[in-house]
Amino acid sequence: MTARTRTRSHAVQVAAEDDDRLPPARFAFGSVTWKEVAHLHLNLLEGILGFVYVSLWLYAGALLSVTVVGLPLLAAGLMGARVLGRAERWRARVLLGVRIDEPSPLPRHRARGFLNRMWMTLKDPVAWRSTLYAFIRLPWGVLTFAIALTSLFVAWPVLGHIARGLTNVDRAMVRGLLSPSSELERRIAELEEDRGVVVDTAAADLRRIERDLHDGAQARLVALAMGLGLAKERLLEDPEAGARMVDEAHGEAKLALQELRDLARGIHPAILTDRGLGPALTSVAGRCTVPVKVAVDLESRPAPAIEGIAYFTVSELLQNISKHSGARTAEVELWRATDGAKDRTEDRLLIRVSDDGRGGASTARGSGLAGLAERLGSVDGLFVVDSPAGGPTVVTAELPWRSRTESRSESRTGGRP
Amino acid sequence: MIADDSVRVVIAEDSVLLREGLTRLLTDLGHEVVAGVGDAEGLLKTIAELSAADALPDVVVADVRMPPTHTDEGVRAAVRLRRDHPELGVLVFSQYVEEQYATELLAGSTRGVGYLLKDRVAEVREFVDAVVRVARGGTALDPEVVAQLLGRSRKQDVLAGLTPREREVLGLMAEGRTNSAIAKQLVVSDGAVEKHVSNIFLKLGLSPSEGDHRRVLAVLTYLRS
Amino acid sequence: MAIDHATGRPHRVPAVLRAPLEGRTWREFLYLMTSLPIAAVAFALAVTLTAAGVGTLVTFVGVPLLAATLAAARGLGVLERARARGLLRLEIAEPEPVRVRRRRDGRGPGPMAWVGALFKSGTSWRHLLYAVVHFPWALFTFVLSLVLWSVGWTTFLYPLWQWTLPTFAHQPGIQIYGETGGRHFYVDSPFTIGITCALGLLLVLGTPWVIRGLAHVDRLLVRGLLGPSRLAERVWELEEDRGVVVDTASADLRRIERDLHDGAQARLVSLAMELGLAKELVERDPEKAARMVDEAHGEVKLALQELRDLARGIHPAILTDRGLGPALASLAGRCTVPVATEVDLDSRPAPAIEGIAYFTVSELLQNVSKHSRARSAQVDVWRSGDRLMLRVGDDGRGGAGTTSGSGLAGLAERLGSVDGLLVVDSPVGGPTTVTAELPWRARG
Repeated sequence: MTARTRTRSHAVQVAAEDDDRLPPARFAFGSVTWKEVAHLHLNLLEGILGFVYVSLWLYAGALLSVTVVGLPLLAAGLMGARVLGRAERWRARVLLGVRIDEPSPLPRHRARGFLNRMWMTLKDPVAWRSTLYAFIRLPWGVLTFAIALTSLFVAWPVLGHIARGLTNVDRAMVRGLLSPSSELERRIAELEEDRGVVVDTAAADLRRIERDLHDGAQARLVALAMGLGLAKERLLEDPEAGARMVDEAHGEAKLALQELRDLARGIHPAILTDRGLGPALTSVAGRCTVPVKVAVDLESRPAPAIEGIAYFTVSELLQNISKHSGARTAEVELWRATDGAKDRTEDRLLIRVSDDGRGGASTARGSGLAGLAERLGSVDGLFVVDSPAGGPTVVTAELPWRSRTESRSESRTGGRP
Repeated sequence: MIADDSVRVVIAEDSVLLREGLTRLLTDLGHEVVAGVGDAEGLLKTIAELSAADALPDVVVADVRMPPTHTDEGVRAAVRLRRDHPELGVLVFSQYVEEQYATELLAGSTRGVGYLLKDRVAEVREFVDAVVRVARGGTALDPEVVAQLLGRSRKQDVLAGLTPREREVLGLMAEGRTNSAIAKQLVVSDGAVEKHVSNIFLKLGLSPSEGDHRRVLAVLTYLRS
Repeated sequence: MAIDHATGRPHRVPAVLRAPLEGRTWREFLYLMTSLPIAAVAFALAVTLTAAGVGTLVTFVGVPLLAATLAAARGLGVLERARARGLLRLEIAEPEPVRVRRRRDGRGPGPMAWVGALFKSGTSWRHLLYAVVHFPWALFTFVLSLVLWSVGWTTFLYPLWQWTLPTFAHQPGIQIYGETGGRHFYVDSPFTIGITCALGLLLVLGTPWVIRGLAHVDRLLVRGLLGPSRLAERVWELEEDRGVVVDTASADLRRIERDLHDGAQARLVSLAMELGLAKELVERDPEKAARMVDEAHGEVKLALQELRDLARGIHPAILTDRGLGPALASLAGRCTVPVATEVDLDSRPAPAIEGIAYFTVSELLQNVSKHSRARSAQVDVWRSGDRLMLRVGDDGRGGAGTTSGSGLAGLAERLGSVDGLLVVDSPVGGPTTVTAELPWRARG
C-alpha cells in the first residue's frame, strides 16, 4: 500500500466525521501535489541544516586531521552523514513516493580494533555521497523555497506543474546520491538472499528426508518386526498360520526395501555419484511415462553439487511432463557452453528439456516451476520457460560450470560438521 | 491370555499399516480394541464420546507424531488425557524417545503411564504385557529413557556406589517392572531381587515405600532431582 | 611472548635486541627507501597529467588524457602491490578489474567503452589519489628512516672506526663543538666514546620500531587505496560462502544416501533373503525355519535401530518440535561426559539457524567425549542482539585448534559460510572454551 492511498482514505474519514460542519474549502490539487509543495518548502530548512552540519565537521575534521584528533572527528561526522542520508530517504519516501533500498550497513563486526574501524568509516562511499548530497542541497533549497513560495501565491494555476518539475530534480538527486547505486551493492543484496535460499532449502531438504524416513521405511519396518515377532511364536504351534505370517513378512520386507530405494534415489541417486549425468539421466528417462530421448554432450564431469542440481532439475521437469503435459515424446539435452573466455571459467552448463504436449506451463507463483526457478537462481543459474498454449514446451536451464577440483567439500568425507 | 485379563484399548496411530497390525496383535492375544484413530484430534474426540457413554477404555496407545502438523501432538494429547481422565492408562510409543517427553508424561504421577520405542513391538509378548501393565495402573518406561535418566542424573557419585547388578535392578525398577518380573528377567529368585531393592533404597537414602507405582515414582524423582 | 613465526618456538633473544638485525626490519627499510623515487615519478606524472586532462576537459582531448592518467595509475598499482607483497609481506588481493560492456553485436568493446568504464570505476580514482598522497608521505618516511638508521649505526659503531679520524683526517675524533681558533670539543676520550656508542645503540634499537610504524601506515595506504573495495571483497566472500553452502548441502545428501545404502538397505536385503528361505523351509523343516525367522527378527530390530540413528543425524525430531533447549538437553544426555546445558532464548530462530546451531554443539560435544578427556562439560546458548551465541566449555586437557584438516576447521568453515564465527580458546592443559556465533534470523 502506498503512502498516497493511506492519506486519501484518512482524508475521507475526516470528512465523514465533520459531517455537520461546513465542508472544508476545496483545494484545487490532490494530496500528491501538496506533498510535493511541502517537500519543496522543507528543502530550505533541510538545506541549511545539512550544509551547516557538513561544513562544520568537514572543516573541523579536515583542519584538525593534521593532528590526531581530526580523523576520529571526521569519521564521526561521516557516520552522522549516513544518518542524514537515511532521514532524507525517509522524507523522499513519505513526500515524494520515491522508494529506495537502504544501502548495506558497514560490516563493523568484521573490523578489529579502533583504527581499522575508523579507517573503514573514512572509506565508506555511502557516507561520502551523503555528504556531497547535503553540500549541494543549500543553493537548491533556497531556489526551490523561493519558487514554491512565490508560485503558491502568484502562479496558482500552474503550481502543480512547477512542483512536479522541481521535485523531479529532487527525486533524481535522491536516487543518484542516496541510493545503494553501485552494481556491487546490488550484487551483495542478491548474493545474501541467494545464500539464505540455499541454506534454507538445504535445511528443508534434510527435514523432508527425515519425515520420509519416519513415515515410510521406519513405519514399515515396525510393522514387519511385529509380524515377525508373532510369526516366531506361532511357527511351531501352528505351522500353517506361521507359514502365512512368514509369507506376509517376506512381502513386507520387499516393500520396505523398495521404499528405501526410492527414498535413496530421491536423496542422491547412486548412479549419479558413480557414473555421472549421462547414465543417471538415461535412468530417469526410463522411468518416465513418456518416451524420452536423452543426449548428454559433456567431455568431463562438473562439480558434484552442480551435477546434483542439474539432475534434480531434469527429473522434476520430466515429472511435470508425465503429469501435466499430455505429451507423446520428450527430449533432454545437456551441453557445456563456452563464453569465449580462454580459461573457461565463465562456462555454463546448459539443459534443455522439450516436449510436444499441450503447453501453457509457466513459472507463476506457487507452481513447481517457480520453486525450480528460485533454486536455480540461487546459484546464479537461469531458468527460461517457453510454453505457448497448444505447445510445444521448451524449458532451458543454465548453471554456472564448476569443475570437480574447484569444489570445496569434495575432499572432506564427513560432510556435516 | 485368559479372558478376565483382557483389557479394552483405543489406538491412535496415523500409519494404517501399523494400526491394523496392532489391532490384529492385540485381538489375537485376547484383548478388545475399542477404536482406532489416525490423529490426536480424533483420539480426544473418541475418548470424550466413550467417556460420555461411560465406556472409557482401560488404556490408550498413542503415536507421538501424527497429522496435521506431524510433530508432537501425540504427547500433548496424552498429557491432556492424563489430566482429564486420571484413571485412564496412556501408553505413548514412537520412533524415537526423548527424556523431555518422558518428563512431561510423568509430571504429577506415574500411575498408568508408559513411554516406549516402537521397536519394542517386535517383542510381541513383552509389548502386550506393557500395555496390560499400563492398563492396570502400572508404569512402562523404555530402557532408552531410563538410560538417559541414569546418564543425566546429577547424583553420579551416589549411583557409582551401586554394584553393577544393583544398577541393573535400578534400571528395571525405573522401567516400571515388578519384583517378580525383574527376577524373571535376571533369572534370580524373588528373594534376591528384594534384597537388591532394599540395598538400593538404603544407598540412595530413600525410604522403602509400598507398592510398585510409589516405588517407581521415588526412583524417578530421585534420578530427576 | 617472543615466538619465532617460522618454527613456532619461543625465541631466546628478546625482540628488542633482535629487531635491528631481523630480515623484516631491513625489508621494510628497503621498502621505505625505494618508495621515494617511485612516488616522485608517480606524483609528477599524476599531477601534470590530471591538470592537463582537467584543463582540456572542455575540449575533446581532455577525456582520453584523463582516462590515460587513470590507466597509468592502475599500472602503478600493480607495481606498488607487488612491492608491498614482497617487502611488507602484505596479503592483498588484486582489485576488481575494469568492467567493460560488450557491444550488442558481439564485437569487442570500443575505445569509448574503455574510457567510460575507467571513469566509472571508483578503484581507478583511488589509485590516482594514491599517486598524489603517497609522495609527501614517502618523502617524509625516506628522510626520517634514512637519517635515524644511518646516524644510529654510525654512532653505534663509532668505537670501531674512531681510529680513522686521527690517522686520515688529522683530528682526534668527531668534532662536536669548535670555534675557529677557540675552544674545541672532540669525542676522543674512552668515556665520551662510550657515551656516543650507547646513544647509537639506543637509536639502533629504537629505529626498527619507528620503521615498523611507518611501514604500517604504508600498509594501510596500499590496502585502503590500492586493494579491492570493501564491497568487492564482500561480493567475493559471499560467492565463496554460497559455494561452500551448496557443496556441503550436496555432500550431506550424498552421505545420507551412502549411509542408507550401507546400513539399512543392506540389512533389509539379507533380511528379505532369509525370509524367502524360511518360507521355503516352513513345510519341510519347521525347526530350522523357526531359527531363521528368529534371526530375521534380530536383523529387523537392528535395521530399525540404524534407521533411528540415521534419522537423528539428519534432523532430530525434537529439534523441529521443541526447539534448541530440549534438543540440546537430549543431546547432552547421550554424551559420555556429564554436560550441563543452559539455553536462554525467549523465542526460536529460523529452522536453518536452529539446525546449524544444533549440529555445531553436537560436533563440539563429540569432540569433547572423543579427545578432551574432560570430566564435565558445559553448554550455554543465548542471544546477543542480532547474534545467536553458543559456548561449549570442558575441563579436559585442551590443545584443540582450528588448523586445517581438523574437524574444527570444517566447522569454522561451515559457520563462516553463513556469516558466523568460531573462536577456540584451548591452551595446552585446558580448560577449553569454544564460542560460536551465528546471525539471528527470526522464524518467518
